[in-house]
Amino acid sequence: MRALQDVNLDLAAGRIHALVGQNGAGKTTLARVLAGLQVPDRGRVWMMGREIPGGNVRAAQEAGLAMVHQHFSLPPSFTVAEALELTAARPGGRPVYRRGQLERRWRREVAGLDGIPSLSARIRDLPVEARQSLEIVRASASQARVLLLDEPTALLTPSSTESLFERLRQLPDDGITVLVVLHKLREVEEVADTVSVLRDGRLILDAVEMEEVGQGRLSDAIVGPARAGGAAVFEGTAPSSSSSSGGGRVHLRLKGVSTAGFSAEVGLQEVGLHVEAGEIVGVAGVEGNGQRSLVSAIAGLSGVEQGEIHIGGEEAAADPPARRRRRGLRLVPFDRYTEGVSSSAPLWLNQSSLRLVQRSGVRRSVVSVRRLRASAGQALDRWRVRYQTVTQPASSLSGGNLQRLILSRELDEGVEILVAAQPTRGLDFAAAEFVRRALVGMRDIGAGVLLVSSDLDELFEMSDRLLVMLGGRITAEFRPPYDRRAVGDAMTGAVR
Amino acid sequence: MIERLARILSTVVWVVVAFAVTASILWVSGYSVTEVFSGAVQGAVTAVGAFVSTIRWTIPLFLIALGVTIGFRAGFFNIGGQGQFYVGACAALVVSLGWRAGPAWLVISAGMAAAVAAGAAWSLIPGYLRVRFGTDEVLTTLMMSFIGALVLQYLTAGPMRNPQGTGQTAASERIPDAFRLTGSSGVSAAVLAAAAVAAAAVWLLLERTRFGLSMDLAGRNPTMARWQGINIQKVGLVSFGLAGALAGFAGAVELFGPAARLITGFSPTVGFNAVVVALVGMLSVPGVALSALFFGGLQSAILFLPIVTDVPPPALTLLHGMVALLVTVRLRARRRRASGGPEPVET
Repeated sequence: MRALQDVNLDLAAGRIHALVGQNGAGKTTLARVLAGLQVPDRGRVWMMGREIPGGNVRAAQEAGLAMVHQHFSLPPSFTVAEALELTAARPGGRPVYRRGQLERRWRREVAGLDGIPSLSARIRDLPVEARQSLEIVRASASQARVLLLDEPTALLTPSSTESLFERLRQLPDDGITVLVVLHKLREVEEVADTVSVLRDGRLILDAVEMEEVGQGRLSDAIVGPARAGGAAVFEGTAPSSSSSSGGGRVHLRLKGVSTAGFSAEVGLQEVGLHVEAGEIVGVAGVEGNGQRSLVSAIAGLSGVEQGEIHIGGEEAAADPPARRRRRGLRLVPFDRYTEGVSSSAPLWLNQSSLRLVQRSGVRRSVVSVRRLRASAGQALDRWRVRYQTVTQPASSLSGGNLQRLILSRELDEGVEILVAAQPTRGLDFAAAEFVRRALVGMRDIGAGVLLVSSDLDELFEMSDRLLVMLGGRITAEFRPPYDRRAVGDAMTGAVR
Repeated sequence: MIERLARILSTVVWVVVAFAVTASILWVSGYSVTEVFSGAVQGAVTAVGAFVSTIRWTIPLFLIALGVTIGFRAGFFNIGGQGQFYVGACAALVVSLGWRAGPAWLVISAGMAAAVAAGAAWSLIPGYLRVRFGTDEVLTTLMMSFIGALVLQYLTAGPMRNPQGTGQTAASERIPDAFRLTGSSGVSAAVLAAAAVAAAAVWLLLERTRFGLSMDLAGRNPTMARWQGINIQKVGLVSFGLAGALAGFAGAVELFGPAARLITGFSPTVGFNAVVVALVGMLSVPGVALSALFFGGLQSAILFLPIVTDVPPPALTLLHGMVALLVTVRLRARRRRASGGPEPVET
């Protein structure tokens, strides 16, 4: 599988071009290729008629390209003036400076920016919006002809997004070409002259003028047609309603939960949801809209600022993770390699970790390793994990087998509520089917399942109800049959 | 199993390489290689009293290295054994000099308990800073070692100083002979039994308890451990506490055993050598025992060498350093591999 495949794209000078697409569509890869951060296997890049040698950051900069990264790149311990001087490749630089000189040098560029008290303020003390605008100051001060912004609005509030767009709109007047990676269609409409869409590494729309493309066409281009035979079938045959099969007992309930952001993602804002016994509730959303914060709040990995979390009918917002696990909370983490297993530890230890925490079957402090190994081996066999010996390290398993190991650990006993985060990402078809069947199996035995995924087909196929997250809130709820376009619009914040 | 054999073999190979490099340096410098190594064997094993001396130097190394092992297994580079060892010895000294008239078994028990508590407390300071604020424990444990050395210096030069003492180094008064666990050889059944019990307890903790297994997971991948509900703060604090307790215990054994008094700056590198011992022993209790014996023998030989040959003792210090260097190189390589996981998924 390739991140990008045969992408041909012409961007006219002096305009604002938007690049959109789902997660993993190849947007960041394309930006990195343009900036010389990544060498393409094949293909070439020209800028202002000059060819840029692949993978050469310096050459791209000299040709006039400046990039504003998704994650801010200004050194946090530097003052504003120092950071700008260091990172803006601007002519007339001298090797030695006094602080005052530096500050005089940059005063004009920084004037009028909100949130920057002085040029001697440290970057780390600045609000996100101010850092963002400094990134743009830096990029435009390096006499860039082409400005590349990778998801600049991901961490911004609406009002700072607005002022960012105001700055961007002025750039073409100075002859600067802008390519901006965006997630929200509303933002594309607001700022872009043309739009390009990537899906699964291929270019679906090629710098089409905004006037020529309606929002509906754009959502379709981003989300793509339904997978053959998949969602189409399930749109007709919705899974049986939850209330009849599971008796409607609520296994998980969140009431007005707000949190701080978790790992550079927006925090939750007054999120309320419930998962009943015997239903799968899907959570859709463009990645980074609070899904990680949601799962970590339920798991107890991060604190809750306000609101209630009930697990198995009892208030659990103040409980440590281990107690939530004992109440029957099961987790399939986002990243199976770093969050799901300890890759250097043997299979049996990875398989028994939850039993150690829950003390099920290992009530005493001193445990029989022989017995743990044996029961781990049996569980791995039951879940058809392919392995040679239970003492081999987890790193020796393939992605699909690793996910089966995680399922064998989480689902073997006492499941009340299962939170599965991107459980099939990166798996081949057969392995993904296995995981989906396991989730359905859990629902059928009366567990509640919360499925966070960025695969819309999967969500349509599996979910008894579907919630959409946007900006840390749950903004929409759908029931089958699902309207792909309506869900896509809710995910991107489009208003029709 | 094969993987484990390969790891053991690679450690042995590195030690052999260290021998070879040391031998070639000695040879180039014009010393007789055979003389040096036969002197080393005599000083560690065959000479009269040599093996007892080896055991005497093995015991503190072993006890401290057990603590280092616990720390490393939990994922923390607690290298503050030296300071924890010192404050443990100091605590035992304060108890035994402060209560000279007490019954021996009670004073020794109280002294040991005080040493364990002091060592644990000394280690828990950087431990708390680590789990609460993320302060780099390599730096803080090292700094606490220097402070521990100053505590020892203060006691031996100040309140506990032997008024009859002469010479340049300050030393404390001797503890009453009734409190001694060994003669001047530093080895006795009681001390050996204490070391064996400590070793068995650490082995049991690491390999056969719920806590030890959780600690292993947390040490290998704290992120995964958190997702599993393991309280990594608690694991961290316990590992720091136990490491300090063992080093403090080693300090008490030193005082009640061979030393009988504390001299400013005694055994100045034992805590740091213990880190090498733990790494060469591959963080397993039997491995650490063997490796402690090896380095204890080396220590004994270094002291013995001037008696049998005119080869200067630094020749063996060189060997010691070479093993440490090569083992550290391997550790760095492993650490880098461990941190160099798969690239984050591009979005």
